[in-house]
Amino acid sequence: MTMSGFDPFAQLGLERRFDLDLEVVERTHRELSRALHPDKFSGGTPAERRAAIERASAVNEAWRTVRDPVSRAEALFRLAGVPVGEVNEPKTAPAFLMEIMEMREELAEARGARDLARVEKLAAGVRAREARVTASLASALASGAEPAAALPMLGELRFYKRFLEEVSAIEDEAMEHDGAV
Amino acid sequence: MSYSDKVIDHAENPRNVGTLDKDDPQVGTGLVGAPACGDVMRLQIKVDESGRIEDARFKTFGCGSAIASSSLATEWIKGKTVEEAEAIKNVDIVNELNLPPVKIHCSVLAEDAIKSAIADYRAKRDAKRAAEAAAKPEAVATTDAR
Repeated sequence: MTMSGFDPFAQLGLERRFDLDLEVVERTHRELSRALHPDKFSGGTPAERRAAIERASAVNEAWRTVRDPVSRAEALFRLAGVPVGEVNEPKTAPAFLMEIMEMREELAEARGARDLARVEKLAAGVRAREARVTASLASALASGAEPAAALPMLGELRFYKRFLEEVSAIEDEAMEHDGAV
Repeated sequence: MSYSDKVIDHAENPRNVGTLDKDDPQVGTGLVGAPACGDVMRLQIKVDESGRIEDARFKTFGCGSAIASSSLATEWIKGKTVEEAEAIKNVDIVNELNLPPVKIHCSVLAEDAIKSAIADYRAKRDAKRAAEAAAKPEAVATTDAR
């Protein structure tokens, strides 16, 4: 569901903010899911049952959106009237791209050499950067300043996310190798 | 999402993967990224004295469509003049690879990479010419007198 009007925060009864306690949100999601479980509506009319299913699916979608910092930020930008996506976001700074390229090449090299220790070291560096940018994005979005100014940070987070997805793929690959032996 | 056969072919057997010496004055390097998806692409050209692209290399960290777009771009620009390469449009790549709408940005990235490599090559060439002109003041004077 990618309707522009979808408000994942409202679905979960949350304030529209980036800085959320995800443990609390997860608990809310679980309680809502339980309350909307089809068993609870077995005596209801077909319309009521259908409404509960739709609501449960919206609640799940909302939780998926809110739990991930990138999609949570995207939702906030969208709801603030700042379009996100390929044509709307500012170009990435060349110096940053250079760093990302170098880090990706290093990661590819470590993968080729099956050097998991190096992979983990690179991943730790990227996770630390991700945490820093996430914190900056949180304060930028909470400051009440023009949200569009914070868009480059969202871009940066996506590059880190991609990097860490690659790290997970390498880890899975390594585990499969271990399992095969 | 299903990829077209051409995308799969390029993604599985990418052409011209690698690097050229970025400090070579005949080499132009383009580095571009897609903030919307986190893909990063480097495309390099080596231009001969007559202005023809004699070699092209790329390295892309991204999805299959991004890899295919940059692989195809290097294939196309090799042997072309810089001006001809500059005329390549992302829609040409979209049509050749049958990219779906959600992957059009990959072709835009490849076009940007070509343009950015050409811009880098030209900046280097102009700097080199300026340096040469400064080193040979009498040559400039002769040209001016003619």
